[in-house]
Amino acid sequence: MMFERSPAKIWRNRDVLYRLKYSYCRDCKRSFYPPRGRCIYCGSSNIEHRYSSGRGVVKEFTVVYQTPVGFTDMSPMVIGLIEMEEGFRLLAQIVDVKPEEISNGMKVEAVLRRMIVDGETGLIYYGIKFAPLIEKS
Amino acid sequence: MRSFIISSSAVKIDRYYDKNFKELAIESIKDLEKKISEPLEPEALIISSVAVEHLDRQSNMAGIIADYLGLRNIRVYRVESGEASGLAAVQIAHSLVSSKAVKKALVIGVDKLSDMPNAKIAELYSYLKDSDYIQIHGVSPLSEAALLAKIYMKTYDYSYEDLFIWPFTMHQNSLDTPHAQLRFKISPDSYKESPILAEPLRLLDSYPFGDGASALYIVSEDVAEEYDVNVSIEGLSSSNDVNDIASREDLLIFSAVRDSFIKTLKMADIELGKLKYIEIHDNYTPNAFIVLESIGLADRGKAPELLQDSMIGSAHVNLSGGLKARGNPWGATGIYQVHEIFSALLGEFKKSVLGEIEYAAAQNMSGCGDVSYSIVLKRVR
Ligand SMILES: [Zn+2]
Repeated sequence: MMFERSPAKIWRNRDVLYRLKYSYCRDCKRSFYPPRGRCIYCGSSNIEHRYSSGRGVVKEFTVVYQTPVGFTDMSPMVIGLIEMEEGFRLLAQIVDVKPEEISNGMKVEAVLRRMIVDGETGLIYYGIKFAPLIEKS
Repeated sequence: MRSFIISSSAVKIDRYYDKNFKELAIESIKDLEKKISEPLEPEALIISSVAVEHLDRQSNMAGIIADYLGLRNIRVYRVESGEASGLAAVQIAHSLVSSKAVKKALVIGVDKLSDMPNAKIAELYSYLKDSDYIQIHGVSPLSEAALLAKIYMKTYDYSYEDLFIWPFTMHQNSLDTPHAQLRFKISPDSYKESPILAEPLRLLDSYPFGDGASALYIVSEDVAEEYDVNVSIEGLSSSNDVNDIASREDLLIFSAVRDSFIKTLKMADIELGKLKYIEIHDNYTPNAFIVLESIGLADRGKAPELLQDSMIGSAHVNLSGGLKARGNPWGATGIYQVHEIFSALLGEFKKSVLGEIEYAAAQNMSGCGDVSYSIVLKRVR
């Protein structure tokens, strides 16, 4: 029995995939995700790594029907362009809401969900998706 | 430092269940070989393919195709730069020839997207994105292009129906392209009723999956002099952008496309207006408009309005039918584009539309402008 995806690969990316570790550039004051050693905007290596609150806003979204292998059971799948509180943007799935109820400007928060089931081994890979923000009183 | 193209060929993009990668690649050089006056004896073979490992469990593709072609003691390379692999391979050949490392280089682009079911091809297409952080979310260039379509339509106030002009024009253009995969007209109704891939994009906003192979023979000036017609590579350059489109500050300009095109025109020492024919990489409808605006053929947001009878400004665009209708067999696509503009300069492709032209260009990119290559060819005599 063989893995289609390396379990080690998912494990070593845990801070980025599960805790939304991102980069903040001390020189140009911009943030970006996934983290890199150099700023993607100004090229500076004066970078620090930070962790996101997990809260953001939907800037745009699409409902995807032609999904890749590994995601076919999630079809139709919503992919959102999400702007996080810390200023960086990322693409991720939006769940727990019907596509017709999603709108641009909607507040969302990161939730831990099943991402992919490995075809042959059945090993489940988890990751971050986004769900409508539940405001706590 | 120039190199010259003396021959090219292309098989019709189709489903070739009866041919493997090697056979299709070899099929593609039959016509090329007929058009040269000497035995085909390249000193370098460069193979462009995006997915041969995944589709055919095959590495070292260049060495193996050289073997089947009976070529020995030559340099072999396999090039992969996503969907821009074709022009990347041409750049390797051009560098080898113009640096005088070799006098003759054979470039073949080949991919076979009909060999696997569509969901597998969709998965392989997502490999163009960062495997650690982007693919894991199920994101591929399709979902990126769908987001770009929505942003483009909202920013510039277009309806989905307004975008129809692109696929309509491409299907019009492919009717008399001998190697095109799709050769039929489409109507506004068939456009709006085709299956949704990622809303708002439908099947007719995308390219068909198919098998293709195309080839070029690139040689030094002294070899080219023995031929009546000479076409030189005057400019050839490339550029890159962040792979993750969410991080781009300006989503509606492909900076890699713009940068590589500017560099290529500068290398060729010409203005944009000199180009009467350009083949662009239109993997999705919104990308076509963004590319046209990135290379400067239209102001931002104006491409859908300015496009008329496949002309924009003084240039004819995608007379082949583009990726949309000619097809997009990934690693072969850039080679098809060069085959088309080279043939047009010889007066053997779309002559009734173009007449005699001196310059033509092609633009070949991966995903939504993640990397982009451009080339300018000139008919020297
Ligand atoms: Zn910076």
